[in-house]
Amino acid sequence: MRNVSLLLKQISRLLFIVAAFVAFGTTAHAQDPAKGEALFKSSNCGSCHKIDIRMTGPALGPTITSEPDEAYLIKWIQNNQALIAAKNPKALTIYNEYNQSQMSVFTNLSDQDVKDILGYVKDQWKKVQAAKATPTGDGSGAVADSGPSNVMLLGLIGVIVIAFLIILVLNRVIGTLERLLLQKQGILPEDTEEEEKPAVDRLATVKILAKNKKFVFFVVLCLVVGLGSWTWVTLWNTNVHQGYQPVQPIKYSHQLHAGAMKIDCQYCHSGAYKSKNASIPSLNVCMNCHKVVKTESPEIQKIYNALGYDPQTQKYDSTKAKPIQWVRIHNLPDFAYFNHSQHVKVGGIKCQACHGPIQEMQEVYQYSPLTMKWCIQCHKRTEVNFKGNAYYDRMTDVHDRIKRGERVTEASLGGIECGKCHY
Amino acid sequence: MESNKKYWKGLEELNNSPEFMEMNKSEFAEPLPIEEVLSGAGLSAKTPRRDFLKALGFGVGAVTLAACQKVPVHKSIPYLIKPEEVTPGVANFYTSSYNGQGILVKTREGRPIKIEGNPEDLIGGGSLSAQGQASVLDLYDVTRLQNPVLQKDESSWDAVDGFIKRELATVAASGKKIRIVSSTVHSPSTKAVIAAFTAKFPTTKQINYDAISYTGIIQANQNSFGKAVLPHYHFEKADVIVSFGADFLGTWISPVEYMRQWVSNRNNTSLQNKKMSRHVQFEAGMTMTGTNADTRIQIKPSEEGLAIINLYNAISGTTLPGSKQLSNKAADTAITLVAKELLAAKGRSLVVCGCNDVAMQVLVNAINSLLGSYGTTIDLDNPSYQYAGNDAEFVEFINEMKRGEVGAVFFMDANPAYNYFNAKDFTQALAKVPLKVSFSDRNDETSSLCDIIAAKNHYLETWGDDNIFAGYYTIVQPTINPVYNTRQAEQSLLIWTDNPVKDYYSFVKNNWETNILPQVGLTGQAGWETLLQNGVVKTAGAPVTAYTFNKDLNVIAQNIINRSNQLTASGANAVELLVYETVNMGDGRKANNPWLQELPEPVSKVTWDNFVAIAPKFAEKLGIKEGDVLKVSSGSHTVELPVLLQPGQAQGTISVALGYGRTLSGKVGTGVGKNAFPFFTFKNGTFQTAAPASISTTGDVYILAQTQTHHSYEGRNIIRETSFDKYLKDPSSANGRHEAEHKTYTLWPEYNRPEYNWVMAIDLNACTGCGACIVACNVENNIPVVGKDEVRRRREMHWIRIDRYYSFKEGNENVTEEREIDKLEDLDNVSVIHQPMLCQHCDHAPCETVCPVLATVHSSEGLNHMAYNRCVGTRYCANNCPYKVRRFNWFNYWNDSRFDNYLNNEHTQLVLNPDVTTRFRGVMEKCTMCIQRIQGGKLKAKIDQRALKDGEVKTACQQTCPTNAIIFGNVNDPDSVVSKALKSERTYYVLEELNTQPGVGYQVKVRNVNETLA
Repeated sequence: MRNVSLLLKQISRLLFIVAAFVAFGTTAHAQDPAKGEALFKSSNCGSCHKIDIRMTGPALGPTITSEPDEAYLIKWIQNNQALIAAKNPKALTIYNEYNQSQMSVFTNLSDQDVKDILGYVKDQWKKVQAAKATPTGDGSGAVADSGPSNVMLLGLIGVIVIAFLIILVLNRVIGTLERLLLQKQGILPEDTEEEEKPAVDRLATVKILAKNKKFVFFVVLCLVVGLGSWTWVTLWNTNVHQGYQPVQPIKYSHQLHAGAMKIDCQYCHSGAYKSKNASIPSLNVCMNCHKVVKTESPEIQKIYNALGYDPQTQKYDSTKAKPIQWVRIHNLPDFAYFNHSQHVKVGGIKCQACHGPIQEMQEVYQYSPLTMKWCIQCHKRTEVNFKGNAYYDRMTDVHDRIKRGERVTEASLGGIECGKCHY
Repeated sequence: MESNKKYWKGLEELNNSPEFMEMNKSEFAEPLPIEEVLSGAGLSAKTPRRDFLKALGFGVGAVTLAACQKVPVHKSIPYLIKPEEVTPGVANFYTSSYNGQGILVKTREGRPIKIEGNPEDLIGGGSLSAQGQASVLDLYDVTRLQNPVLQKDESSWDAVDGFIKRELATVAASGKKIRIVSSTVHSPSTKAVIAAFTAKFPTTKQINYDAISYTGIIQANQNSFGKAVLPHYHFEKADVIVSFGADFLGTWISPVEYMRQWVSNRNNTSLQNKKMSRHVQFEAGMTMTGTNADTRIQIKPSEEGLAIINLYNAISGTTLPGSKQLSNKAADTAITLVAKELLAAKGRSLVVCGCNDVAMQVLVNAINSLLGSYGTTIDLDNPSYQYAGNDAEFVEFINEMKRGEVGAVFFMDANPAYNYFNAKDFTQALAKVPLKVSFSDRNDETSSLCDIIAAKNHYLETWGDDNIFAGYYTIVQPTINPVYNTRQAEQSLLIWTDNPVKDYYSFVKNNWETNILPQVGLTGQAGWETLLQNGVVKTAGAPVTAYTFNKDLNVIAQNIINRSNQLTASGANAVELLVYETVNMGDGRKANNPWLQELPEPVSKVTWDNFVAIAPKFAEKLGIKEGDVLKVSSGSHTVELPVLLQPGQAQGTISVALGYGRTLSGKVGTGVGKNAFPFFTFKNGTFQTAAPASISTTGDVYILAQTQTHHSYEGRNIIRETSFDKYLKDPSSANGRHEAEHKTYTLWPEYNRPEYNWVMAIDLNACTGCGACIVACNVENNIPVVGKDEVRRRREMHWIRIDRYYSFKEGNENVTEEREIDKLEDLDNVSVIHQPMLCQHCDHAPCETVCPVLATVHSSEGLNHMAYNRCVGTRYCANNCPYKVRRFNWFNYWNDSRFDNYLNNEHTQLVLNPDVTTRFRGVMEKCTMCIQRIQGGKLKAKIDQRALKDGEVKTACQQTCPTNAIIFGNVNDPDSVVSKALKSERTYYVLEELNTQPGVGYQVKVRNVNETLA
């Protein structure tokens, strides 16, 4: 099966390439897609247009291919305002359809430039259509690729183990029954003595060991120490969820956004600098980029669904909106007051100090234990960030201590007093 | 000790009754049965060891199983599209107004959680009353209607609108009268809406109906000066204030404003300028104002008129017909002396009367005219619009209904079925009206009689405005979208009249832009936004002019005498009955507010009930004891209420509070106390609050939930008081620090407070005992409401309480020895002091040393911290606290169906302050000096990179105090207000002889007593 589908795929690719060459060959004289691509990018067409999807402006592929009058297209692209001013009916329809949003004027583009761009667009549109056609034949292969999931594997193993156990038990039962049958029939003699002997032998070694007091003491000691330390560790870590990594409703990757893209934490978690909550960004923050970026991704579609946003019409429908329920990872108990702005803005602490290498996390997990011991340790170690903060100017006592060369830690300013966090 | 005066909280304490002594032995009402167990009684019981092991086994097992519970998954749901001005975790403040007073509404994530006074406000200047503080809880009241009600069934606005438009058309066609009955409307835009409604339906008339009416004053001003207005009083300009039963600090017209004015001549600044006003109160029942007066004289309601006539005679030198001596000799002498004082302070004096009788008020006008008060302490040119009700108009309206002339009636903020004295008459008349509409937020007594309840918004969900006195305008802006499917009354009226302006917001905005904003030089959108930012505007106002009274007083005097004769009770069990408004419950419209129900009434300290107040001596004469249930009959109305022995109550009189006995107010307020409104009478064109009554015992006994004698000080001297004369001679008189300093010893090392040392200064001379601080503290610190039964068990949770102490008046030196108390002779003649008591944040705190788990420890900022999660509930700290300010959570109040007051409801819990933990069962709690505000203030200063300014952090109690009696701040800063206040010679510390080194300093109470009058 797999070979057949691969073969089909290759054939379709080949056909596509041939078709592309044919197309290229026929249009090469008039329109140069390579040049067109460069112009398309340098003129920032992409900021309002996409080939296949309607954005601020119409989807270019279908619009351009369905437009028979190339001269009109060139005029429109070069100076759409003039066409609108001249009340060209076609121009007015499209202008009104797109909420009278102004398209930039490109008088700097020559007719040939525009033709090149059109060539590029048509070229791309064909590729898109071809790409849409191919994956349908490829479906069965994709499933085979992904392989059995972990759940299935575990389930299978479970079934096998259970089956094996049943077989064992049944064997035992059959054996016993057979023996009983034979005994009843008198074919087999009752073999009690024979069976006792090995049992006595086995127990004998245990008995010898049990008589050895040193050994017994050692075993008991090991048990006490082992169980004791296990209990100790378990009890201390009750309700400590270090490493907690729940599955989130959207596969958002901090590694991609904070790591690869180097987006500042504050861009999304703006609350961290002014509030006690770092705050999970509201979806309008996501939409600042994802109105344009990766619009086809199923994860981004989840954002659209949550907002009731239709990428085709670019309209929000608040009746369809339903908030996203993220799973909270860092859960401080209610009786502990924590304020992000105190630490991030005033203290100048890096986010990573508590949240760990967030820029490397595909999925976020709880990096720190979030225990009181952990808080206090940090307060005892961390020196207060006085630099340039006039708040501390009047605190003469602190100045004296700095002059004496003492370390002024958070704790020494009262940072480990109960009421500073518990109220 | 300079003063040997004895202060007592209640008669039990004064008499040292055995029950009281017994109860006082332990901190908590119900001791643990430890002694029983130790004495062997417990051990000899059957198999105690086995039971113990069983219990232990079960306990361990249960706890283990409970601990096996999986940790719940917490969801975090961000905004879909975050409003720009909202930052989760940061509060926003919006201006609005409460009953015409400018306020700031604190919202968190879009929901209002606290109300503060607007510092720009002319009424409160940043302060707010207890009722204002509590009003935020009404927004989350689950009893509120969620949809409009049409013919008893929940319906939709479309159906209601259609129904009403049809019916109104029918009424208009029939030419019948339309009446809008409301409590006084002082909103310019609402008036405009009603005017628009009247224009469309010309048979409409609006009737102002106030449950507690001031028609007497308004009519008297009409008769005397031709101006039917409620004057704007200026107590701050008065050096001598004489009040006849007017509780102007507690309930009368505009108490918050009057408190501020009154205290401006009595606070620390004024005293340092050697100036203090003199305040004499003549009254029957003990009111909060009476407790604060320099001299208080008891006077029966029937003799009040006579007393005013005598005062007029003494001031004018003439004799009105019918004048005679009062039966109360002390009052007679007082009148002559007061007349002299008033004349001496001509132009700087003020006489007010709380009576709603026109003739009495005319005579008071005549006195004020003689004293030159008009133009100085009384402003008739910029009147107050707070009350404009006309009682006769309302009575006439009932007659109109009876005659079948009324085709439609609309009730706006009016509940006559509850608070009209003849509710039956009203109900029967109302049944004859074809269309009855009520704008109400709940199915209350009147609404339940109506065809339609046009469910209205809470004021925090509405647009609107207020004009509480001439020239002063405030805006009401919503701080939350309507929670339910409700609509404000004005909006409904606009819709029903097909007004071209569709929404009330535009209507208000237009009204301001055309009528009010130009007066203060604001225009356009910018002007409107400035208004929303400031919340209040003040126009120039009319020039204040003097008025002279020149009407004939002979008829007036005759009317007064007649009224007095009618009030005089005769017979064996006859008494004079006076109904009054209390500071916490008002006229009863907030009866469903648990914070107000649990706020102790300032004088009696009773919660969750009203009662019959009676003088102890008079009660003894009648053989009545505290708690006896009495049957009180007056006119055709009879109620059964428990007795409270109230020192200071006039002999032969009883007082009953209004505002209780609601039958349809909601889960909290329904059935609390008894309704006293039916005791009103309609005489001489006004509702009268006094009437003759008869009382008889029923034999039942009822225990009132009274907080006054909880938290005993074992008779230690904690109140310091002096007279103004002594203060002038020696400002430090009576501060108790004149004896040679005795050496103090301490076991503990001294700690320094390098940055801050948070302390408080409380001026006993400014505190009026109004209780606004208690409610403010409840709101700010998520303090649970425990209910009547728990208060009886001494388990109220208030972090700040106001202790009310009685003492016998100066001159009775023999009262110091308990045995020598000539008890009942003096009980009529008591003076009262209010003392706010909260955690003193002692530097050597007795609570800290006894805590076995170090749950309560001291901070480097001078605060006594309480770590709830560390507390195991031994209650040693409460036992060891000499100030009795620690509170124990006997139950998990916020999730326990037995406390169905408000906290165990998810919707109502939205009012909780998210910055303060709710405490669990078995945990101690107490005042933190609003540590969340301290921390928040410091953080804000750090973020702004500047030093923390003095006054930037205010505690909730300080912020809401109308008299600025509470000052909080950093005593390490020598320039801070609190440092200066504590340097006052009057400062003393409660129980400082114990060397607890409290952080709260009190300032000696000064009474401006006239030696001859005392």
